[in-house]
Amino acid sequence: MMHCTMDDLLALKENEASAWAKQHFETCPACRAELEALYQRIAALKALPVHRPARDRWPAVRDALRVDQRRRRRRWGAWSLSAAAGIALLLLIRPGPGGRVDAAELERMKQQSATLEAELERYDPDARVTSGRTAALAAALEDRIAVIDGELAQVGTPPAPVRRAELMKLWQERVDAMQQLMTVHVTRAAYVGL
Amino acid sequence: MTISLAVPDILVARARAGDLEALEALYRAFETPVYNLALRMLRTPEDAEDVLQETFLEVVRSIKQYRGEGHLWGWIKRIAASKALMRIRRNQVRATEELDEESTGRQVAYAGPEHTRSGSVAGVPARIDLERAFEQLSETSRSVVWLHDVEGYTHEEIAELMGKTVSFSKSQLARAHARLRRMLDAEGAAR
Repeated sequence: MMHCTMDDLLALKENEASAWAKQHFETCPACRAELEALYQRIAALKALPVHRPARDRWPAVRDALRVDQRRRRRRWGAWSLSAAAGIALLLLIRPGPGGRVDAAELERMKQQSATLEAELERYDPDARVTSGRTAALAAALEDRIAVIDGELAQVGTPPAPVRRAELMKLWQERVDAMQQLMTVHVTRAAYVGL
Repeated sequence: MTISLAVPDILVARARAGDLEALEALYRAFETPVYNLALRMLRTPEDAEDVLQETFLEVVRSIKQYRGEGHLWGWIKRIAASKALMRIRRNQVRATEELDEESTGRQVAYAGPEHTRSGSVAGVPARIDLERAFEQLSETSRSVVWLHDVEGYTHEEIAELMGKTVSFSKSQLARAHARLRRMLDAEGAAR
């Protein structure tokens, strides 16, 4: 005797069964018992015990959120930074108290910084899972970059004395911090010598 | 699952405004159901925890887009299911052993009540038996069973989430139930 298949039983459950399956089901106690067993299995699945995570993942989520917020603030400040950097460059390429700067070298450093920033954007670390320590380290590096940005903005303010070495050192530090940040994101490092 | 998933509107409004305490309260309210959903779909607690983290990263970043249409748990659940399915796809790329299980799965079509032992209702499990049997299914099968039978998703919704057809979802469900029934039968016979 031909009985309902599992497809038939599931279709019967959802009122989508074929005419044959409906007719057979009405007259077959075995298939009725199978459908009842299916219902009971589903009820038992719904009653399986609830499991809870062993570790608290909120700190990692919160740290990532804070990094987001800092990044947004940094982007907001980017316009003022680039304006300040432009002024600084104007001051540097003419003779001043700190002497004449190698404009090409400074441009190269800034270009390197911009390339790293673009790479970090493309890498999109926020879409990946990191440990709390790695996230905290990334946040510390982002803070450091923000501080350097602040110092660069100060250096670029017209009344401030502008020195070639100071400016070059700041841009170099910015590039170094970004390289470390990239390393942290790529390797999930929890230590980079900070 | 008997967990209260009701969240006060004021809490959602504060979370949408970026209030960190409110966001944490949301995390605490939905941490267990999200983890449980992910754990049922995936193989390991570590994967489920990663999905929990990925889900809430998206929740905290996009809560402003939640317009209050439908239950908040429905919105979060969809994000969680989507993240879990992404992880399953990644795992499938990595682990070729999945293929072995799929090939075994082809033999599990329900053969009819003639396999039912007399005096017992076939495939009605004790809880622990069912949990163990469920864990034997492939991640794809488990996801379809859990989303359809427990979370109440339709085959159309599952197909959309998985990027597959409705027929795929239906056949996965039938095969999974046939396999569950067979495993539970075998376990019962061994006692």
